[in-house]
Amino acid sequence: MVRSTRKQKQKRKLKKFLESLKKFFRAFDKGMKEDSTSFIQKELEEYENVFALLTTGVFAGVPSPPTGLVLRILPYMQLEISIMVKRSAGLEDVFGEMMGTFDID
Amino acid sequence: MTALIALGGAVFYIVAYFTYGKSLEKNVIKADANSPTPAVRLRDNVDYIPANKFVLFGHHFASIAGAGPILGPAIAVIWGWLPALLWVWFGNLFIGTIHDYLSLMASVRYDGRSIQWVAGKLMGENTKYIFELYVYFAMVLVIAAFMGVFGTLASKSATILTASTLFMVAAVIEGQLLYKTKLPFWLSSVIGVALTLLSLVIGFAWPFINIPNLNTLYWLQFIYIIFAAALPVWWLLQPRDYLNSYILWGGVILGAVAAVVAFKGFSWPVFTSFAAKTISNTASPFWPTVPLVIACGALSGFHSIVGSGTSSKQLDNELSGLFVGYGGMLMEGMLSTLVITSIAAYGFAVFNGVADKIASANIDLARMGTDANYFGQVGFTVVNSKDIGIGGALGLFTKSFGLMLNSLGIPVKFGTTFGGLWASAFVLTTLDTTNRLARYAFQELVEPIKKVSTGLHGFLANRWVASILAAAFGFFLIAKGGNAYTALWAGFAGANQLLASIAMLTAANWAKRVQKVSGGVLAAILIPAVFLWITVFAALIWYLVVIIPVTAAAIRGILAGFVVVMLILDVLLVINFFRSLGKEYKEAKAKT
Amino acid sequence: MEIYFFIGKGGVGKTTVSAAWGAGLSNNGKRTLVVSLDPAHNLGDAFDQAIPSRIKNLSPNLDAVEVDTDRMISNYLTEMSVKMKNTYRYLSTMNLDRYFDILKNSPGIEEYATLEAIKEHVSSNKYDAIIFDTPPTGMTIRVLAMPRVSIIWTDRLIDMRKKILSRRKMIENVQGKFEAIIEGETVVLTSEEKSDPLMQELVNYRGEMKRLRELFSSENCFISIVTMPEELALSETERISESLKGFKIKLRKILLNKFMKIEMPPEEIRGKIEEQDRVTVKMKERFKNIEIKEIPLLKESPRGFSQLLGVYNKYLK
Repeated sequence: MVRSTRKQKQKRKLKKFLESLKKFFRAFDKGMKEDSTSFIQKELEEYENVFALLTTGVFAGVPSPPTGLVLRILPYMQLEISIMVKRSAGLEDVFGEMMGTFDID
Repeated sequence: MTALIALGGAVFYIVAYFTYGKSLEKNVIKADANSPTPAVRLRDNVDYIPANKFVLFGHHFASIAGAGPILGPAIAVIWGWLPALLWVWFGNLFIGTIHDYLSLMASVRYDGRSIQWVAGKLMGENTKYIFELYVYFAMVLVIAAFMGVFGTLASKSATILTASTLFMVAAVIEGQLLYKTKLPFWLSSVIGVALTLLSLVIGFAWPFINIPNLNTLYWLQFIYIIFAAALPVWWLLQPRDYLNSYILWGGVILGAVAAVVAFKGFSWPVFTSFAAKTISNTASPFWPTVPLVIACGALSGFHSIVGSGTSSKQLDNELSGLFVGYGGMLMEGMLSTLVITSIAAYGFAVFNGVADKIASANIDLARMGTDANYFGQVGFTVVNSKDIGIGGALGLFTKSFGLMLNSLGIPVKFGTTFGGLWASAFVLTTLDTTNRLARYAFQELVEPIKKVSTGLHGFLANRWVASILAAAFGFFLIAKGGNAYTALWAGFAGANQLLASIAMLTAANWAKRVQKVSGGVLAAILIPAVFLWITVFAALIWYLVVIIPVTAAAIRGILAGFVVVMLILDVLLVINFFRSLGKEYKEAKAKT
Repeated sequence: MEIYFFIGKGGVGKTTVSAAWGAGLSNNGKRTLVVSLDPAHNLGDAFDQAIPSRIKNLSPNLDAVEVDTDRMISNYLTEMSVKMKNTYRYLSTMNLDRYFDILKNSPGIEEYATLEAIKEHVSSNKYDAIIFDTPPTGMTIRVLAMPRVSIIWTDRLIDMRKKILSRRKMIENVQGKFEAIIEGETVVLTSEEKSDPLMQELVNYRGEMKRLRELFSSENCFISIVTMPEELALSETERISESLKGFKIKLRKILLNKFMKIEMPPEEIRGKIEEQDRVTVKMKERFKNIEIKEIPLLKESPRGFSQLLGVYNKYLK
């Protein structure tokens, strides 16, 4: 077995360092990107939820669009309905969720 | 001394992390690396998404670190730097970190549900309502307190007022760049940071926005709150929140490095007196009133909400919880440590800078340096007097911070403006988010009125009315209350600590009944929880009896009302706690 | 192409008039289609032959059809069910049928089916004239109102959808295309209106409704009320007229049917004759600018093409 020279060992260490530096910046980048859109994300979810509620109101006896309209767009609302279902499951904790997003300190 | 305390604090916290923290992880949480967290189990890439623990730490810390950890200690130093520091270190160690960490992990075990929900499950449904009511009170009070704090600072510093206003413009521009253009993210961010620095520079080079009138500032803030809270989030709130994190990290890193490099001794009194005039220029016994001053930094109920709101849904592994929840709180303690350090080292220099004005107020500055007791009596006046013009507790901090950063070669004016922007950026953001939340909470609270009068309910539940009411409430408390921001801050801190009480009791409850912890380990949670409860209860009674009578007559009634309601609910709370502690609650077991 | 709607409450003779009109127009050389939208189909009785749910030719230039709304509804739901089973992967494990049962009876589904039937026939270019024998008044009014109502809703939903897409775009500008995981499936979320099937569907639907609304208000659309000279019928006619005004739809004719012309009325029905005359006067006053035609009460209900043609030639021309 060939023993690696000092130079090769140094190179490897440098490589490892650069790798972890890259990882750090990537994580930093991702983190900052999430930071810069977290509120918008929450707002988007709310709109998607309301959209689903408005459209599927017919199932809950809530004023809803004419059935024809509902029939036409229902096939495309998989995402919105799943958000609505998820929201409904968490309805007893909406305040907690909102508070968690808009922090006060 | 600055280096000693800064490094000492760091060491203290690191040791705490690896000993106390690890012990909690093993014996109470019983963290299991192989047990999937909700972020993994319920992953939808929207709310539930496992995040790298460093990234999550960053998010969590940025969420819990606001203006609180700066303001609280800056007020508390009237007791002397040592008592304040001890509370920041040991209050954090024995209560704060346990509170944050356990709330986070309990939430994780309950599918990421909020601590409010968990409290309801473990201690009865009305605990949830008590929680919500405390939150609403806290929100109204914090709006009032922060309006006062910003007003006091801005009325004495056109620099900071200008910089803060320009910073808002920078944030709006940043929002456009980030969300409406296809500019690469890194570039928009760099431009954002550059614009922030530009606001700073223009602030101290050309402070053209000068409004010394406190009342005008209150009105402006009132209008700002309503307007800002009505905008879609991407306009101002989101980009500003984003840029705030750069300011935060910049401040913490610069502050830490400066503290070590400055290597300055403390000229501030170690200890003034037990009942120094800290709150409302009234004798305030350190125990039990210190939690009414230093909340965040040592212990803050709102952290449990933040932790269980988003962080618990993004925890990638149970073992990361210690770093995020426990570590996050320690980091905040570190931040408060730096605040105390800078004031302890440079506070007196700040006073010396306005020595003539202090003399005109008939206060003996020289005597303040030798007679600690005297300091405790007049310190409040020196810091808050309009004529002396330091700008309140925040003013004291920003000026001290500026002097400390100078040891790094940063011009004092720049450092001071930076410190000011740091504090005010978080204050203004909190005003915005709090109004949004208070609006929502108010709409929930007035639901029952529907049964009595639909017209009235319709009016009250209207989002504009709800928003204006919340802001007006806060405005009334500060404007008609004689600008008594320390009293209002103490009220807010009281509600905050009560929230923390609920969370601590919930955590203790969970530890005993679900995690089946007992003996010494349980005592480590139960004793602080009980101690906290007793302290806060006593503090609020003191507040009712001592502080409220010295506040302006116009607001006395409301404040007293808040406190009395909070106290009654607090008793209810502890009854719930003990009752539920004994029960063999089947529902207490978390769903697996 | 001309379109005719005959509106009126049950029993006034709508079907007879529609059928007669059809007979008349076809006899004059116009390629005519008579469509029965009334669930209680009487068209077959009027023409004295069975009329199926597919277009049947009755005589040169004359076709007829009885729309089966129930079957249409079932078809729509089945179609939607198939579409949904393809896109809603996890819903296929749920009981979709339960939802469709609800939809089958939901308010508005019949109006929708009726409107679709109107749309379908109106879009064919085989005819010079299409005559619709309408369902009971309430349903017909709702059907005529549907385009306007649909447009209001669609506009609101389009607005909301734009907000959603705009926010997705903002997040995309920062994070690049993002995906959501729905029940184990990764879904890429669009932020462009052009590539959002939901938005396209909304826009298309709005276009269809707009065209229908314009159709109803156009010069080629002739809406007439068939009524009787009775107090109740008068009130009903006024109500219909008001509704039509609200929809900006022009009322063309009022056909007073079952008019009794008796020289020497016996004691028992003298009151009725007085009411008839009274109502007729009132009607002519209230609807001054509208052509009112009187059709007498016939000894026998007309049945079959030639009798219907006779009615047309004598009273409806």
